[in-house]
Amino acid sequence: MDKDAREALARRVLAFAGTAPAEAIVNDVDAGLTRFTHNAIHQNVASADTSVRVRAIVAGRTGVAVTNDLGDAALRATVDRAMAMAALAPRDDDAPGFANNAGGASPPGAYDDGTATASPAERARVVAEICSVAERNALWAAGYVATERTGTTIANSAGTLVSYDGTSCALNVKANGPDSTGFAERFSTTVADLDGTKAGSVAAEKALRAREPVDVPPGEWTVILEPPAFGELLSYLSDHFSAQTYDEGSSFLCDGLERAYAAPSVSIADDYAHPLLAGQPFDFEGYPTARVPLFERGVASRLLTDATWAKRLALPNTGHGLPAPNAHGPSARSVVVAPGTATLPELIAGTPRGLLVTRFWYIRPVDQRKTIVTGMTRDGTFLIENGEVARGVRNMRFNQSILGALERAVFSCEPARTGGYAYSMVVPAVKIDGFRFSSGTEF
Amino acid sequence: MSAVYDGLAARALDTACARGASYADVRFEDDRSERIDVRNGRVATLRDETSSGYGIRAFYDGAWGFAASADLSDGGVDAAAARAVEIARAGAAVASQRFGEAPTDRYVDTFATPVARDPADVPLGERVALLLAAERDLHAAPSIRAGHAWIDLWRVDKIFYSTSGSRIAQSLHQTGSGIAALAADGGDAQDRTFPGDIGLYQAGGWEIVEAAALGANARRIGEEAAQLLGAPQCPAGDLDLILGGSQVSLQIHESCGHAAELDRIMGWEANFSGTSFLDPSLLGTLRYGSDLVTIVIDNTLPRGLATVGYDDEGAKSVRSDIIRDGMLVGFEMSRDTARTIGRATNACVRAASWRNVPMIRMCNLNLLPGDLPFDALFDGVKHGIYMESNRSWSIDDHRLNFQFGCQIGWEIVNGKRARMVKNPTYAGVTPQFWNSCDAIADERSWVSWGTPNCGKGEPMQTGRTAQGASPARFRNVRVGAGYDG
Repeated sequence: MDKDAREALARRVLAFAGTAPAEAIVNDVDAGLTRFTHNAIHQNVASADTSVRVRAIVAGRTGVAVTNDLGDAALRATVDRAMAMAALAPRDDDAPGFANNAGGASPPGAYDDGTATASPAERARVVAEICSVAERNALWAAGYVATERTGTTIANSAGTLVSYDGTSCALNVKANGPDSTGFAERFSTTVADLDGTKAGSVAAEKALRAREPVDVPPGEWTVILEPPAFGELLSYLSDHFSAQTYDEGSSFLCDGLERAYAAPSVSIADDYAHPLLAGQPFDFEGYPTARVPLFERGVASRLLTDATWAKRLALPNTGHGLPAPNAHGPSARSVVVAPGTATLPELIAGTPRGLLVTRFWYIRPVDQRKTIVTGMTRDGTFLIENGEVARGVRNMRFNQSILGALERAVFSCEPARTGGYAYSMVVPAVKIDGFRFSSGTEF
Repeated sequence: MSAVYDGLAARALDTACARGASYADVRFEDDRSERIDVRNGRVATLRDETSSGYGIRAFYDGAWGFAASADLSDGGVDAAAARAVEIARAGAAVASQRFGEAPTDRYVDTFATPVARDPADVPLGERVALLLAAERDLHAAPSIRAGHAWIDLWRVDKIFYSTSGSRIAQSLHQTGSGIAALAADGGDAQDRTFPGDIGLYQAGGWEIVEAAALGANARRIGEEAAQLLGAPQCPAGDLDLILGGSQVSLQIHESCGHAAELDRIMGWEANFSGTSFLDPSLLGTLRYGSDLVTIVIDNTLPRGLATVGYDDEGAKSVRSDIIRDGMLVGFEMSRDTARTIGRATNACVRAASWRNVPMIRMCNLNLLPGDLPFDALFDGVKHGIYMESNRSWSIDDHRLNFQFGCQIGWEIVNGKRARMVKNPTYAGVTPQFWNSCDAIADERSWVSWGTPNCGKGEPMQTGRTAQGASPARFRNVRVGAGYDG
């Protein structure tokens, strides 16, 4: 469903609300994903859906109803349901009203026709490239190739009408040998950027180099985290910048704003418009999303807000709202870490003894307030000796404060887009001294 | 809903076959959910959601294709069926091996979750008022910075048709609710959740909310969160450990349930949620746990969050053993994966919604109760820790090395529960840990703990699983791992 059709649908929904204050969010997704293992496709799926979310405010009371039935009768019933729920809800005099925003141009490169129309055969071709590399190296590959088109329109009775059309695509590959694995990933808005041979080769090279891994003792190590590892680690810091988390006392920022929490080399922003992300320029309340510096040369001073928390704390609305109302509060969407000056090989060359980590797995907070998290290394962990990658090591568990790591961070000059199901960000590799590993495992 | 979809189903299956599929099935779903959140006195969410659509699986030349759509017009159904076959053909064209075989079994049946009180019969005002009252009581001390109370109500009506002649209509009700208090003071923040660590989620209606007893426990939960701020740090060392039932549930989920998924064992999840330290050669030979440990799949369990009549590839629910008297004896399986080890499916296939491809999920996985009253677990513990309610969970991608943290702990000294301790964590390696289990509490403290947010698959699906458990005792466990390095 294109922008014009979504906007017409949103207007049709608002018309059913008559003069009552209402908001319609239309979300249209068409996604395909091809998954493979043992060098063959085993799951191959596609899904298309359009949903309409209606928020009605009746005398300070809010109700929300959602449907994916786009017929007039169903849409009218959905509006009626939202209003009926609002009528029964407790009054909330602090609830903010609707946005009035008619802007929000999508950043360049957000949408690619080739990605929007990519066929299962095109995804299968990239899979075949990856598997071919694995077979040549006597490995087996597992991973996915995905393409997606997303369109979002938000309209409300206060005059907001904003739309975003974006595409995304991704691949990841885990190359598997008898006693070792390797990993590579690629995220883009353009399917032509997905080079299966290149990604398959990176993963295979890691798996081959990691053969016959050895144990190394737990303890404090100098680590070099490649972007997939560093991105996942950093994602667990994002919530600390939420105004809600801050106000409720579980953010490290409760120790004070305008303070240095990280090394002067650390500058991190939330920036939807970064060329590697090209994200949505407004939030899910329809407000424009601002570029917000989270760390500037190690100093943290800003909070992310939505309409509710901007009003409650008398702060500017940075446009980081989720669909309102919600219990979660504002949320970072596009974390970008400013790169350093050294290349990844230079960071390795400058390390007498350390560990090169490709990827982490199952990171979870241990102590939210102290930013301590635990997790495992995965899919390519290597011993660095005398400035060179020496050999593979068995995986290890870490327990590490993220802020502690950022106090000693030195970044590479090569940012990459990385992500998971809960985040999308741009980060370089990072070198960190004194990273704390607590135990090992059997592979 | 059944009659509505008969014609569309015939059209979908005919189209898939006309396009070359040797087998096809289609699953229509009408999903309805309601979510209410109360946070710090405000109704933060009041949302009623409906979503209808269908997913078509097509089998062509040994390869599966899946396409989902919400377009219920004849043209929409034709397009989705054609897309499923096109996807299967694309996979078959580059396949170096075949993963599937067309099912042949046929069921014509219905199933409905037993519901004592339909949530729809409970006025919305009553639903909201219950949460407002419970949330208010969480604020039992000035240090409580956030109170949160919530209800999830889910109803799924689905009907499955296959070219082998199956027609299975199911109406599922699942319900959950919980409360959480966050206390913060100075440089510390502590939280408490009830029931368990995520609330009480089970199959059924409003009676599940009533069973959660949120109001009766809210003040205690708030007080405990506040007390944790001043509690001493949990001691570290190799200590005896008693886990509350919801934490045993989490332990089963992470270190048994996921490990025993046969698709994971076969490498189908290798790039994302990982593989497993298990393999088929270990069936009947691996001592997974002590003699006390028997873990069964039971997708017929009353109130089990994952209880259904049939799974999402049309296989009838059964009860089957995974670990019997400590020995590994089975896996969670689909038709295709079971065939590779010469077994029949035990109906563990689920899709998160009509949009998603069915895949192996944990379903109801139960640790059978022991024969001791809960209080007797403390007898004979000279120095140990009793932990409740998960706060942190992490396990390696072979499901061996784990580290879990709980919200609250109590030191055990000479068989008695002593002082409260904060930040309790423990770590271990899966088989060693389960072999250290020397006592399990009896059925009086056994609960089917639903997990409504289990992530697996790509695109990731959020599944609803359950683990039945009572509190259990483990000897000589590494405690304090998250803080002592």
